[in-house]
Parts: sequence; structure tokens; C-alpha cells
Amino acid sequence: MRIDSLTEAVGNTPLVRIDPAVHGLRHVDLFAKMELLNPFGSVKDRAAWTMARPLLDGAVQRGDTVVELSSGNTAKALAVIAGMHGLSFKSVTNRMRIPEIKDLLLLLGAEIDELPGQSECLDPTDAEDPLTRMHQRLSASGGGYVHTDQYFNGLNVDAHLQGTGPEIVKDLGGRAPDYFVACVGTAGSSTGVATALRRHNPDVRVLGLVADKSDFIPGIRTIDEVHHVGLFDPAVYDVIETITADDAIDGLLTLVRRCGTLAGPTGGGAYQGAVRHLRAVDAELTERRTAVFIVCDRVESYLSYLRERRPELFGQPPRRNSVRTLTDADVAEASTIGVAGAQRWVTQRRGIVIDLRSPVAYRALHIDGSINIVDELFAELLHGGLPFGRRQPVLLVCPVGEKSARYAALLRRMGHRDVSSLDGGIIAWRDAGGELVRD
Amino acid sequence: MTALLTEKALLTTVVDALGSPLGVVLPQRLADNVAAFRAVYSRHHLTGQIFYAHKANRSNALVRELAATDAGVDVASLAELQHALGAGVDPGRIVATGPKNREFLWLAARAGVIVGADSTAELAELASLVDEHGLPRTRVMVRLSGFASAGVHLDSRRSRFGVSATAFARAVNLIEEHAAALDLVGVAFHLDTIGMAEKALALEGCLTALDECRRRGLRPWSVDIGGGFGVDYLADAAQWDAYTSALTAAVLGKRTPLTWDGHGYGLRAEGGTVRGSLNLYPAHRPVSGAAYLDRLLGMDAPAQRRPLGALLLDNMCDLHIEPGRALLDQCGLVLAAVLEVRDEDNGDTVVRLDCNARDVSLEEHGVLMDPVVVHRGAPGGAGPVGVYLFGNLCLEADLISRRKVFLPSRPRAGDLLAFVNTAGYFMDFSATRALRQPIGRKVAMFRDDGGWRWCLDEQYWPIRVRTEAS
Ligand SMILES: Cc1ncc(COP(=O)(O)O)c(C=O)c1O
Ligand SMILES: Cc1ncc(COP(=O)(O)O)c(C=O)c1O
Repeated sequence: MRIDSLTEAVGNTPLVRIDPAVHGLRHVDLFAKMELLNPFGSVKDRAAWTMARPLLDGAVQRGDTVVELSSGNTAKALAVIAGMHGLSFKSVTNRMRIPEIKDLLLLLGAEIDELPGQSECLDPTDAEDPLTRMHQRLSASGGGYVHTDQYFNGLNVDAHLQGTGPEIVKDLGGRAPDYFVACVGTAGSSTGVATALRRHNPDVRVLGLVADKSDFIPGIRTIDEVHHVGLFDPAVYDVIETITADDAIDGLLTLVRRCGTLAGPTGGGAYQGAVRHLRAVDAELTERRTAVFIVCDRVESYLSYLRERRPELFGQPPRRNSVRTLTDADVAEASTIGVAGAQRWVTQRRGIVIDLRSPVAYRALHIDGSINIVDELFAELLHGGLPFGRRQPVLLVCPVGEKSARYAALLRRMGHRDVSSLDGGIIAWRDAGGELVRD
Repeated sequence: MTALLTEKALLTTVVDALGSPLGVVLPQRLADNVAAFRAVYSRHHLTGQIFYAHKANRSNALVRELAATDAGVDVASLAELQHALGAGVDPGRIVATGPKNREFLWLAARAGVIVGADSTAELAELASLVDEHGLPRTRVMVRLSGFASAGVHLDSRRSRFGVSATAFARAVNLIEEHAAALDLVGVAFHLDTIGMAEKALALEGCLTALDECRRRGLRPWSVDIGGGFGVDYLADAAQWDAYTSALTAAVLGKRTPLTWDGHGYGLRAEGGTVRGSLNLYPAHRPVSGAAYLDRLLGMDAPAQRRPLGALLLDNMCDLHIEPGRALLDQCGLVLAAVLEVRDEDNGDTVVRLDCNARDVSLEEHGVLMDPVVVHRGAPGGAGPVGVYLFGNLCLEADLISRRKVFLPSRPRAGDLLAFVNTAGYFMDFSATRALRQPIGRKVAMFRDDGGWRWCLDEQYWPIRVRTEAS
């Protein structure tokens, strides 16, 4: 396949059958629409390209910045598309909660504006929330922005009405599936696909999935939040069910471990929600049925999200020489010296003084002659072994003498013979009038 | 507080004697709240002062009780300063914040309290007062605002108070010029937000400012991060979720209204979708008060990527905080007498109270909490009843709550409604004498010798009256 621009590779994703041995449904053929294979990584490539395309010429002429309210895939796709056309992209969000996506957007050259949190002392005269105000600022013409407006822009639905939906019908040999399952974010993909499918078969049952209210699943909304979406029309869905972050991760694990599908949480959620819903139906069925769900994006961006919720999936062997393995008795045996002793130690230049505080704090003020190895780095060094000889005298310094005592105990356990910790830390040193310098 | 609510005879007696509304403060609870914050300090090995933000309640008893703990007081007016000094709070444990007139500055300097300055002009005025009147050298903190972020642009709400990072250099110049009058002890901020990211940015900004001071040879050691730690008004997350979902459905017309005149609390329907945002305090806040501080200190500084608590320690900084609302969690309630319970023709039930929306200013602050009914005798009807609470002002808007409140049993005239956990801001912050209606009296209730005792708020001191053993 030879093309001139990657935007031509948006869409035409495969429809892949999920192995019945995995999903366990007896009368249902379950298919995944592999939107994760879009060139910029998600289902939102379609919406982003469809919405941006008509705006590009004007924006290039005026040098406008493309703007969208998005903290995820739409922002990613728009950032790429803007970049390909020499335009800047700005993403406005309530909170960027997925660090990998935030970093990726910055890498792509996007600008990110985070809106302020809710006021603690509520001001009831403040009728306009920051989002609404931002919206007004963006839609004012001549402001140097083009706003793709994914939550209200009909082209977001069209992208799927013209693309995703008809592709599914074509791949099923000209038939619409009996069931269609999708997670709801802007509602663009579910509304567009459902409408296209119903043109072939008005009886298609559409299951919309939203996040449980107490949960956060990146990319989709909770049942309350969907009501803020301009494109959301409850009549599109035969049923709306909720999924939890746990459901989404269970589904994700099935897809990545058993189905060769490197799906993100909403793909996992759609799989889990589909199987849960269809299992109840399956028992009553006598004829075969087909069902399709959407795998929206890829797993790689969500590693920290997964690590936070399922740390056991990342179980690593404990590292050698860690302060975490010290007992209270170990720490009690560490040698400490008071400020007066330490002052003699320093003036006599008995050995090296290691300051475990942060580099900025060290630079601001420190004990003359000390060297700075911030505790995290020191810990890292010690995993590999002693970074100095066993007989090299060492005095460890931290803010209050707590961390330094632990590291002194660890060095001792590692066989070091002459290590002490400054009792009370650099704060005690300061309070006793000890000299502090900066270079 | 739960125990107190079962003391029907006591509660009805005091309201009969002193009138409705009646503020009840529970000073004994304060020590626990201070201790919870102190425990967080210990966990992070931090030292520094907990200043109670006096503005949250005018009570005497609360400040006097606090004078007996190791906490200090944040005063924001001349009268609050006089009050704190009179309550026995050591001047060394008082910080004066907010907009100040010359009298306020004079007394602050005279008494030797820390002045949290909002601007360079305020510092200049303070310096000239100190010089002219031969006052002692005054400890000052400079309040900062408008913190710049790198990478992601973090919008913070614009503040009336504080100096920007660029203006900070000018403020420090001024302090250096008036070194005999002003002693820079630290920098401060207070952000009116529940967002932790903004506070993390501000805290790191303060550390940067301190570094600048050290570069110039000054030695301030404190960062004051203000208040705003929040309260978990509703423990049950599911109730809050259910209510906000139902309110959204009501705004869309998909269920019977839950509010007076279909009020949407910031939400409105437009073409079948909801616009606006819920203008309510998030009643369910599992991470609030001391836990919020703990979480903030554990958070990485955005630029230095090291936990803020560790950075404060690394820099040998004292951490000062100014909690108001959070320190008064569970420290009081407002009692109001029911004047009338009536069923309207349209099916609504109305409870008219002998107090107004300023006396229990839950609505003004967007906090939705159900009052507890204190019946004098049998309930006015079995089973729950949904009611609107009307106040005693001849104003259409004088509703204690625009939300329909579902009471577990129907009250009768003469019964009391107890608005619980209202000590922080909802008891007297907004109270007025409009229409010559009285401002509610206030009493302190406390446990002593295994029973409940009470006295007028102004009579309370943190010592017990003892009768001599015969
Ligand atoms: C990861 C992910 N899944 C699902 C969706 C939902 O798609 P739509 O916005 O079309 O409802 C989105 C959209 O933002 C998404 O980013
Ligand atoms: C400077 C300052 N400090 C502290 C507070 C107390 O805030 P909170 O009651 O939310 O803790 C306020 C509140 O307005 C304030 O302005």
C-alpha cells in the first residue's frame, strides 16, 4: 500500500473474531472492531480527521491554533494532524490524569491548559464554570483558534456513520450484527455506528457502556457526565450499562493475554461489558447471533493506570540492599553523632560528608565540604553495592537524621565499618548555629 | 455530636431560654482535630504552626479552647486580632492575614504577631508605622500568587491577594531597605481551590522564592500554605452519587423535581443535554482535612519531582497551615425552631423555621446536608416526608435550602431542626440583622463529670468550675 499522507490510512480497520474458547458464548459470534490499528492509535483518529479536514485550509491561511477539550485520544490525533499541517495544537482539560498521555502530547508539541479545580469557598455568584467560559472564549471568531468541538460537532458522528459502521456491515457480508457494544465518551462512535447499522437492520440491539460513577476509566464518561454531551441521545441505545475500572482491566487482560489484541481499558471494558450482557442472552438462544464491540485504543499508554490499580501485575523481585528490609533493631544499632561531634568531624576533614537532600535544597544551603547524593540516587547506587571502600569514613546527613540513620544502618549491614549519621539532621545543625554555605 | 442529638430535653430547654436560631459549639472536639493535623506533621517529620482561620466562626469558646492547645490563630481583621489576644493566644502564635487597615497593622506590630502581607504597599505601610511609632521589628511573611507552571499550563483562579513571582523581588528589596523594621520569616499562599495540583505548584513556587531569599543572604524558614483542606460532609459516596444523578435527571425533566422551582444548582437543560456545571460543594470528600494535607505532602513537586513533604524538610522549612473549615469539623450545630408545617395545594409540604438562610448559610456555600429532627413529643406523622425549608425573612429567596429535604419523620410546630456540622462558615459568617431579626445566640456545650454541660459562648473558658469538696 503506497500513500501520500498517513491520514489516508485512517479507517478500514479489521474486524476480528474472538475465539469462542475465550469468551465462552455458545450461540454468539463475537467480533472486535480493531480501532486501535488506526495510524495515530485510536478510534478518535476518524473523528479528529473528519472534524479537522474542513477547517485546515482556513486555519493554515490565518495561522490559527487548533483547540479541543480533550485529555486523551482526540488530543493525540489532532496534535499529529495539526503538526502535519504546520499548525499548533492546544488541548484544554480539567485534569490530565494519565501521565503517559500528557507526556506524549508534550512530545508531539501540543500545549496543554489545565483548568482550575473547584473553588473551596463556593462563590454562588459565579454562575459560569471555567469550562463554559473557556468555550465562549474559543468560539469567539477572530480569536486565533479553530475549535473542533468534539462533544457537539456532528462530523464526529459522521466519521462513523460513513466509515466505521459501513465497514462492519461490509465485513459481515452485507449484514448488520444483531448486537453492537460500545463505550460512550463523546458518543460519536456509538451514535454513528448504531445509525449506520440500523439502516441495514432496524432491530440491531445497541448496548452503551458508561463508567461507574465512583470510578475513572480514561476516555469514557459516567452516567451523569454523558448528559453534558451534545451528541448524546439516549434513544440511540437500547440499554445503557455501567462498567467499573475492575471490569475494564479484567477485559483488557483477556484481550492482551489471550486474543493478541493490545487493547486499552475501554477496549477491555467493551469486551467485558459485551460478554456479561450476552451471557444472559446466550442461554435463551437457539439460533446463531453476531455481536460487534469496539476496541478503541492501545494498552501502552495506560501502564501507570494499571500499575496503580493492579500492582500485583507488575510484581518485581525485591531488590538487594534496600532500606525497606531493615529492622528497627538494625536502625537502632547505626552509629550517630551529635552536632558538636559532627562539627569536629567536619573541621578535621575526617572523611566524606554525604548530604542526602534534594539538589536544589543542597545548592541553597549545605555543610561546607559535603557532597550531594539525593536519597533516591543513593538508594539506586547501593542496590549495586558499596560505592566507596569499607574503611572510608562517611558521615550521612539528611533533614532530621531519620533517613540518614537508616542508610547508615544499611551501609553497616553491607559491611561498611566507619559510617555515622548526623543526629537530628541538618535542622539540628542549623538550630545549634552550625555554619551553612552556598557556592 | 451524635450523642448530643439524643439530649432532647437539653436542646429544647436552651432554645426555649435563648431563642431560635441558636448556635451550639463543641469546643472539646477541637483538640482532636488539631491532633489529626499534628499526626500528619509527625509522619512527615515536619514542624510548624497550625493557625486556626478565625473567620470560619466568631465564637469565643472555640478560640479560648484553642489557646489551650499548641495551635495558633490566623486573624483577618482588627477585631479578630483583639479577640485572639484576649482569649490568651500567645502573640507568637498569631498570624494576621487578609486586607488590613492601619489600626490592624499597628496592633499586629505592637503585639508582635506575624504579619502576612498581601502586597508591597502593605509592607511599605507597615515599615513606616514601625519606624514612626518606634514599634518592635515585625516578623513578616509575603503572600505569593500567580504561580507559573512549566510544560503543562495549569490555570489557577485569579486572586485578589498576593504578589507575583516578579513582584516578589521588589517586595524583598523593600524588606531589605527596611531591615530594622521588617524581619522576613517566610512566604505564604492561600488558594481557594480543592485542586491539589495547583497547590503543589504554589508550594514549589514558595520554595523557589525562599531559594531566592537565601541567594540574597536572607534566612526565612517558613512556608505558609493557607487553608482549604475541606470537610467530608457526607460519608456515604453512594448517597452523593445517587443524589447528583437524580438531580441531573430532574434538570432534564426525566423525574419529579427535587428542588424549589426546578432550581438546577448550576445545571440547566438545553436541547436535551445538560449545560453548566454542578455549583455545589462536593459533599462526599473522603480525602479531606488532615488526610488532604497528608496527600498533598506526599505528592511530587511538579518540577523537582520529589515529594513536597521531603522538599520542605530538605530545605529545613517549617510548614504553617491555616485550616478554618477543616479544624471545625464536627465542632458545632445550629438549632432552629419549627414555626409551622403546612401542606400546599400542589402537594408540596413546607416547614417554616424561626431562622433565615443567613443563619444557617448552607445554601450560600453550596453544601447540602440534611438537618436532624428533634421532636418534642410524637412525630407529626409516621414515615418520611419531603419538605421545603422556609426562613423568617419576607424575601422570596429566603429558603434555608432550595433542595427538597427528606426528613425521616414529619415535624410539628415547636420541634427543632438541628443543622449539624455547621461550625465552619455556616453558623455566623453571613448572619445579619436585616428586618431587625435577631442574630442567633451562641452556647458552648461540653462534657464534664460524665454529663453534658452548657454555658453562653462568651462565658466559656477551657477550665471547669469546681465546687469544693465538703
Ligand atoms: C480510549 C477511549 N475509549 C472510548 C472512547 C469513546 O468514544 P466516543 O468519544 O466516540 O464515544 C474514547 C473517546 O474519547 C476514548 O478515548
Ligand atoms: C488567607 C486564608 N487562610 C485560610 C483560610 C481558611 O480556609 P479554609 O476554611 O477553607 O481552611 C482562608 C479562607 O478564606 C484564607 O483566606
